[in-house]
Amino acid sequence: MPAGFFSWLWDRLNVFATVFLGIFVEAVPFLLLGTFASGLVEVFLDRDQMSRWVSNRPAAAAVSGAFMGMIFPVCECGVVPLTRRLFKKGLPLSAGISFLLAAPVLNPIVIFSTASAFGWGEMLFWRFAISLGIAVVTGLIFSVENDAGSILRPVLSAHEHDHDHAAPGASFLEKTRKALLITVDEFFDMGRYLILGSMLSAGLQTFIPQSALLAIGSGPILSVLVMLLLAILLSICSTVDSFVALGFVNTFSFGSILSFLVFGPMVDIKSVMMYVQVFKRRAVFYIVAIPFMMSLLTGLIFNYLIR
Amino acid sequence: MSSRMIRSFQGLLLLGLSIFFASKAASGQLTWYINARFVPLTIFGMVFLAVLAQAVFTEIRRARQHEQEHDPEHDHHHEHDHAPASGSLWVMLIPLAIGILIPARPLDSSAFSTKGFSTSAPLVSSDSSARIFETESEERNILDWLKLFNFEENVTQFNGQSASVIGFVYFDEALETDQFYVSRFVVSCCAADGFAIAMPVLWGEALTLEQDSWVLVKGSIETVILNESRVPMIVAESVQSVPAPDQPYLFP
Repeated sequence: MPAGFFSWLWDRLNVFATVFLGIFVEAVPFLLLGTFASGLVEVFLDRDQMSRWVSNRPAAAAVSGAFMGMIFPVCECGVVPLTRRLFKKGLPLSAGISFLLAAPVLNPIVIFSTASAFGWGEMLFWRFAISLGIAVVTGLIFSVENDAGSILRPVLSAHEHDHDHAAPGASFLEKTRKALLITVDEFFDMGRYLILGSMLSAGLQTFIPQSALLAIGSGPILSVLVMLLLAILLSICSTVDSFVALGFVNTFSFGSILSFLVFGPMVDIKSVMMYVQVFKRRAVFYIVAIPFMMSLLTGLIFNYLIR
Repeated sequence: MSSRMIRSFQGLLLLGLSIFFASKAASGQLTWYINARFVPLTIFGMVFLAVLAQAVFTEIRRARQHEQEHDPEHDHHHEHDHAPASGSLWVMLIPLAIGILIPARPLDSSAFSTKGFSTSAPLVSSDSSARIFETESEERNILDWLKLFNFEENVTQFNGQSASVIGFVYFDEALETDQFYVSRFVVSCCAADGFAIAMPVLWGEALTLEQDSWVLVKGSIETVILNESRVPMIVAESVQSVPAPDQPYLFP
């Protein structure tokens, strides 16, 4: 092997390490917040409270689920364990799915970061309106299933009984201790998918030139597809993706960037990794495919009809 | 693995991650990976990881006391808490291994082949461009210059203004032998979204420079046409070697 090859490989390895650690270091605090929220929900919220707060009618549940991100400001790493926990607490299916898809966008942090990148204008409005729409529609489609058990992988049900029986009458300190231990377990449980997803994303970024991707996409259809692909590939946190999208404003149309901002928080490599851990395969397929089709449609409508 | 071993392993990993974050923060290398804006968040993560490690170690101690006080045979099924399978723990070693085994290095020109580089910068909001307009020309960094050239209609007004920018050297085949690029990575969130921006520099002794070495370029601005767009070139009066800055990236 020529020496040039090794120095090329070493360079690639360095880029890989830097990009991977970048995604990882960025995501860990958000994952910790999400799993901690999940731990708190587990010990402080009981099923009765849940059924009092969330309606059982699918449409109302889907809409309220989509807005729950305003109370639980989580991004796409934290939302997965939290959703699983809320399902366990009896959250209706349509509400949980629309929460899963909408919360990474419809929350105060992301509203603020989108506004600081694009201003309080059209991009902000459409991003939130369309994310809301997609989340509610997907939630409603899922409501044909009877209960969360039919889409969740059974891992959690083995867990279920043993956390519950410690709860009644326990002191606040005792409950907090329990919540922290649940946080630890879920951090490891979800963290490995975050790591595998970040490695895949960093690996692709190390070997596939972004310019090749950008070069394909100039037409009104291809440009949307390229931005959707990029959203999957980059796997950046929804709290900051609007700053990244800004970088494409000169190269891509409004519709293509909008579809990036709508789809990215719902589906990317690391979130799909985590979905696969929590949901059954068929459910993951719909959670990915429905938002993909609708984001694509959004991009096309904006590119052809609006501007 | 027994439940207690898994808990111990978890505790050590949490502590290890916390220490890893702390050492990156202490060495100032966090900004090699993420935008400086998110450093407080990482500090929070570091503290929270330590709190979790503490919770795990307390749990181990309690379980041990519990075992000593009671007959282990009889009581065992009751307090066993469900730690995840040990398989998931090994994966957590990967970031630590990568962080420790591969020497830290910020993105440089070796990332250009996949990340690409550009001689124009994205428009942000108009007020920030207005702010750049107000600043002394020598205070502007590479990103500021490229933003100005994107934002302003009449770019020739900048011709002859004096410039002083820091960046690393990049030689591109498209350039003449007396030219090089002075370049910086721009990072909005983390290294994953980093992209390089560059200004061409005209300097007679360009060939004496080394790829990726950090330089301070002083000279005057001249508008040139490159890839069909107007970009600022620095006609250099001096090019000095400087140590790499603490924050290698620019944050928009």
